Amino acid sequence: MGPRALLAEIFLRVLHPALLLASLWILLRGHNAPGGGFIGGLLAVAASAAVALTFTAAEARRRLPLPPTPLAALGVLLALLSGLPGVLGGHPFLTHLWFIVPLPVSELPLSTVILFDLGVYLAVWGAVGGFCLSLLAAVEAER
Amino acid sequence: MSLPGANGGRATARHEEMSAARSDAPLAWTAGASALPWALLPASLFGLLVGGLISVPLPWRVSWRWIPALDLHFALYVDGLAAQFLLLITGIGTLVAVYGAGYLAGDRRRWRVFTLLLLFMLAMIGAVSSDHLLLLFVFWELTSVLSFLLVGFDHARESSRKAAQQALLITGTGGLFLLAGIILLAEIGGSYSLRQLIAAAPAIAADARLPAALTLLFIGAFSKSAQFPFHFWLPNAMAAPTPVSAYLHSATLVKLGIYLLARLDAAFSDLPFWEYSLVGVGTLTAVVAAVQTVRERDLKRILAWSTVATLGTLTMLVGLPGHGAALAVAALFFAHALYKAPLFFVAGNLDHGAGTRDIDRLTGMRRHLPWTAVAALLAALSMAGLPLSFGFVAKDAMTLAKVEAGVFALVSHATLFVGSVSVAVAAVAAIHIFWGRDAADRTTHPHEAPLPMLLPPLLLVALAVLFGLRPTLVDPLLGAAAQAIAPSFDPLQVDSSYDAWPVAEASIATLVFGVLIYFGWDRLHALLDRARDLDELGPESWYWRKLKFVHRLAAWLTRRLQHGALPGYLLTLAGAVTLMLLAALLVAGAEAAWPSPAPLPLPVVGCALLIAGGALAAVLVRDHLVLLLVSGLVGYGSALLFLFTGAPDLALTQFAVETVFVVVAATTLRRLRQMPAPLPVAASEARWRPLALLVALAFSLALSALLLLAAGLPFDTQLSDFFAAESLPAAHGRNVVNVIIVDFRALDTLGEIAVVALALVAALPLLRRAGRS
Repeated sequence: MGPRALLAEIFLRVLHPALLLASLWILLRGHNAPGGGFIGGLLAVAASAAVALTFTAAEARRRLPLPPTPLAALGVLLALLSGLPGVLGGHPFLTHLWFIVPLPVSELPLSTVILFDLGVYLAVWGAVGGFCLSLLAAVEAER
Repeated sequence: MSLPGANGGRATARHEEMSAARSDAPLAWTAGASALPWALLPASLFGLLVGGLISVPLPWRVSWRWIPALDLHFALYVDGLAAQFLLLITGIGTLVAVYGAGYLAGDRRRWRVFTLLLLFMLAMIGAVSSDHLLLLFVFWELTSVLSFLLVGFDHARESSRKAAQQALLITGTGGLFLLAGIILLAEIGGSYSLRQLIAAAPAIAADARLPAALTLLFIGAFSKSAQFPFHFWLPNAMAAPTPVSAYLHSATLVKLGIYLLARLDAAFSDLPFWEYSLVGVGTLTAVVAAVQTVRERDLKRILAWSTVATLGTLTMLVGLPGHGAALAVAALFFAHALYKAPLFFVAGNLDHGAGTRDIDRLTGMRRHLPWTAVAALLAALSMAGLPLSFGFVAKDAMTLAKVEAGVFALVSHATLFVGSVSVAVAAVAAIHIFWGRDAADRTTHPHEAPLPMLLPPLLLVALAVLFGLRPTLVDPLLGAAAQAIAPSFDPLQVDSSYDAWPVAEASIATLVFGVLIYFGWDRLHALLDRARDLDELGPESWYWRKLKFVHRLAAWLTRRLQHGALPGYLLTLAGAVTLMLLAALLVAGAEAAWPSPAPLPLPVVGCALLIAGGALAAVLVRDHLVLLLVSGLVGYGSALLFLFTGAPDLALTQFAVETVFVVVAATTLRRLRQMPAPLPVAASEARWRPLALLVALAFSLALSALLLLAAGLPFDTQLSDFFAAESLPAAHGRNVVNVIIVDFRALDTLGEIAVVALALVAALPLLRRAGRS
């Protein structure tokens, strides 16, 4: 492990959760504004990479919700599962269903699309993140 | 652990020790018991089949819709011919499972053999009951693949691997020809259904493309059924364990090609092309194989060559016109399975009990293997076609068929010769090995095989004797099969009671010549051995030469392409793409219109300048880290460009990708720079430079020209209009890009993220290794 970058460490304390929150926000707004699972996932990868560069790849890996491979697998699985309710309803696979939940002020649209896009997000985060972190870990081991 | 089946003619001390240990009675019994589940499936299928044949009249039809759009149905059709095959496949399959339990007792890998054998049996069942030709083709290829796996079972031995490769290359290539033939035939006949093709035969026969289609089908069938010039793979496939040889390479797989020919005989038997091709190739195969038989000393290879001879005879019979020929095909199919499978079992028992299959080292074995001797003798009677055996019934049918069809004298003499060699082989298997003096120079005491290895051959020869004594028992079966081959055949007129005179004449001649060949076996062997040099001209040495050529070609290509110099790889890649682009330009450029130049908005010009600046800098900069940073300019420039041209999603993605890439790559590069350079690459790199410049210029020019041309084409807005219009009402989303990704084309996205996840799984082991070293 090289010299510690104190400034970056303090900065990251704010930056990491902010980046993750931003990635989630981009994921959720995606259906109606620029964003979505791919971009959100990449932003989450950037957050992980920032941790890995400031601390270590192992630390970044610890901060993932799951180890990279299960994370990516969970993403693919979620996307796959999101297609099943439609099939049960007699539609072709991956036909998305919508449930509009009325709220006092407005209404909350819920859909299997969210599940699908979350799957994309997790798959990108797990796969690209796992790839970057492993590469960085290999570079660290060389040191 | 070595297998007896793979032991060639020579016995090793280790093998003998092992087989001695294996014959322990308790072991044999547990082996028999452990085989029960494997024999259960074929046995119950056999039982079902027999029950069905008794209670439900043929033909049986089943059809499931599979892919209606492609006119592909899971259509099964079982008539007399298919039923005969199904009986053999399941019946002999049961016996092979029982036999294999004894033969492979103690071998830890026997489960693999049994599993593959079961799968093979199912594939065979599928192949002979398919009515749809493409379905038949799928099963046909499955049998080839399973045969490959079974022949190469003892994969630690080079000869096994080579034999497996040969079997797969020949039958697999033949399969491709078959597919081409099937497609052409279906184009001509307008259907993939065998039934409909046969029904439409008179119309098809006039088509000029028919000879081509039939030739392709012939190549497929001949390669599968080991007909000249593809015959040589079958004896080499004897590297497989003996139960496999008995099942695949004698009773079932190798008959599949002839099955297909017999199936189509109903449609094409009147064509002279059909008759002459089959009679010619079949006779030639039989004669070549009969000659080769005499050149062998290994009992299993002798049996293999005599199988090839029988297959040739069958092909010839399929080609002969007339009802008698149809009946003869059915009878010989049946008789051959009843005598050749037991003989293979006998060879396995000898290998197991005496540790060798070399006929020079096997004499007087009846004292040590009495029950095996009984099986061998009875099977040999049938093979020689002696009266009161089922082989005689088949021979009877064959002789009558030849008389009815009025074959050429040459074919007639050839079959006489082939029959005589059969008699000689039968004598070798039954008399030479089991009677005569016992050769004394042996290290171990030969012993009888355990019960599971005795029951199957004894059961089969008992059936052969029964049918030999009462041939009328099988009349309905043979009649139904013959009717499937020749539709105008009346199964009620079958009468297998002996028609003595012309048959006896032929029989006596065959017998006399057979006995002569038997006594002259050693002299013939020596004589043919002297003509060994002629092999150089044969198809097998052609095969090996071509195989060597393929290896040399592959080695040469690898040396040329995989030289290890990265600049060279890039050059090859970019050069090849450039050539393709130029070709596309040549083809499309003439018709397409160049777009008229239009003023560009200022931000777009700025982005273009940024990208161009980054690209130029990347060419000039020498330091790798700086190079990476300036190449990042290209990426960010592209992202900005997307932003200004109305693709914010693309821009965002591009920004994120570029950032992650530059950061990770920079970290890696920093580490790379600290490592000593493994090779002085600068010199070789300089050598590539002029050519690289040329390719780069050509590539960029061609690509730019193509892009300009593409931009000039009228743009079909149907899809984008649809997405824009339907995004909100149909998918509740205002961001069309995201709606396309997650809804309209969600299946594509699912595939993409699966690929991304799989790429991680593939890359992780490499990265871990890099981390460790």
